[in-house]
Amino acid sequence: MRFVRNLIPLAVILTLGVGVACKKPAPAPAEPAQPAAMAPAPAPTDANAQQRADQEAARAKAEAEAEAARKAAAAAEMARANKFKSDAEAALKDINFEFDKSDIREVDKPKLQAIADFLKGNVQAKIQIAGNCDERGTVEYNLALGERRAHAAQNYLTGLGVTEARLSSISYGKEKPKVQSHDEESWLINRNCQFTLQ
Amino acid sequence: MQKLVLGLLLVLAPLLHAQAPPNQEVVLTASAGSKLGVALSQPRIAGVPEATVAKDYQEVLNRDLEEAGPFAVIRKDLPAATDPASYPAWAATGTEWLLTSAISRSDRGDLEVMIQVVDVVAAQAKNAKAVVSKLYTSKDGSRDGALRRIAHKISDDLMARLTGEQGVASTRIVFVREGGRGIKDIWQVDRDGANARPLTAFKSLTISPAVAADGRLAYVTYKGGAPEIWGQRVPGGPQVKLFPPSGKAEGHCFCPSWSPDGKRLALVQGDRRGNTDIVVLEMESGRVRRLTDSNCINTDPSWNPAGNQLAFTSDREGGPQVFLMGDDGSNVRRLTQEGTYNGSPAWSPMGSMIAYVSRFEGKFDLFVYKLGEGKSYQITTGLASSESPAWSPDEHRIVFTSGSRGGMQLYTTDLSGNTLRKLIDLDGCQSPKWTRSH
Repeated sequence: MRFVRNLIPLAVILTLGVGVACKKPAPAPAEPAQPAAMAPAPAPTDANAQQRADQEAARAKAEAEAEAARKAAAAAEMARANKFKSDAEAALKDINFEFDKSDIREVDKPKLQAIADFLKGNVQAKIQIAGNCDERGTVEYNLALGERRAHAAQNYLTGLGVTEARLSSISYGKEKPKVQSHDEESWLINRNCQFTLQ
Repeated sequence: MQKLVLGLLLVLAPLLHAQAPPNQEVVLTASAGSKLGVALSQPRIAGVPEATVAKDYQEVLNRDLEEAGPFAVIRKDLPAATDPASYPAWAATGTEWLLTSAISRSDRGDLEVMIQVVDVVAAQAKNAKAVVSKLYTSKDGSRDGALRRIAHKISDDLMARLTGEQGVASTRIVFVREGGRGIKDIWQVDRDGANARPLTAFKSLTISPAVAADGRLAYVTYKGGAPEIWGQRVPGGPQVKLFPPSGKAEGHCFCPSWSPDGKRLALVQGDRRGNTDIVVLEMESGRVRRLTDSNCINTDPSWNPAGNQLAFTSDREGGPQVFLMGDDGSNVRRLTQEGTYNGSPAWSPMGSMIAYVSRFEGKFDLFVYKLGEGKSYQITTGLASSESPAWSPDEHRIVFTSGSRGGMQLYTTDLSGNTLRKLIDLDGCQSPKWTRSH
């Protein structure tokens, strides 16, 4: 009894609900699936599908090939760059000087030859020569002395056939010591020309 | 000179705008060994914190006077009273000059300091004189350091009153300070070590400052890669490139030095062979004149006060030595004869001396060459290396750098080398220049 009594209002509500639905367009959220299912999506023909698939495959293949080429080029470029870098590192070694001197020492001449060879083998490379001094001179005199050391190295390299346009010079005097210690060994290290790629 | 009207002075202080007349007679010529005792009474204060007065006035003025040279500052057992009846008590402490001050802030906010200096010894002999009676006003009285600047000015005026020579308490020192590896900037500090602050911040290598008499800076900076001369074309103006002109490929430039009239800038220019020469740039026309042209190093130009000669360092005869020449490059002659490494010449402000450094056993000491005598005198002898001398504007002291390797600090010394003072506790300093300009 109780069950039947409860069913009656439910039936009424359902009936009313259907009646309402028939009279008015159902609001979208109430029946989400309905409009999509009813939308007349044009069914693709088999020929079109095949064409598109072929195009897609061709495009993917081209892209993969291009990517592989790019990777190969990049790898080659990196290898070249690495070789250039390691060659530069191997060649661009500091040369050192006696106190208050700017003469190229015999022991440093092979180093300058290696720099000249590197520049001849890498025609696009340009270097800057920085002349430096130890801390035991005056600030201003050392700037001039660093200038002279940089030019001494520059002149030696042009003497080995390097064109002047590929060499620039600068002097830091005693303003940028390579090592901060204060003994004979450090002073010799700090009396130098440093060569850097531009 | 004003008659001393004691007792009324402090009351009337704001009304007395008495300025010391020019060309006042000098009351005492200081001689070695006899210093004049001077004491500050407790200032009367209105509208300024007592702690500020103690720190920025009493402490500063006492130290300025003490370091001026001819004064002995009396600090112990000072009487509280300042009326004529107290003069014997002041005199008993060793005081000769009693300095009373009234410090106040005016309605407009200006800082006002009225001072009276009484010769308490002469006053007892019924010969009372106000040695100095003067009002100091600072329009920017709210700014930090206004009271300090007045204290410095008072010290300089008392010095002038005593010796006829302007003191150097109001001066400052411009120098280079290392701010990290490969980074240096131009700094400044007051003569008493206060107000240390950077004047450039290029995060680059910036060195070799020069200051013109009107305060214009010139220096070398690597901020564009190669070293160029930068600085100011007008006092207080923006910092711009002074040399070389844009677009011109010139050799590297170092070591600017203003002529005494500030119209010319001597500087050092490298050539294609690695030699360096001294050239003079005329600021207005931009014209450049080469003074040296030899197959060697020429650097460190320093003008004589007349602006018609320069001292410089050259290795034309082997090692570095100090030479002199005319401002047209003529009449070159060697100044230093002893030692294998002499450099950093600094021509004294009155012109009769040249300070320089000489290297011996791996370290530098300061020397002064007296042109009249044709002789050199050694100023410093120490374990540390002493470098980069520059004269105080009154020619009594030399500022320089000294210290252990890598830890160079700023010091000043008198010419006897007896009163050596550390200017400020700051590492990594170089190339000081001493100037009256602000």
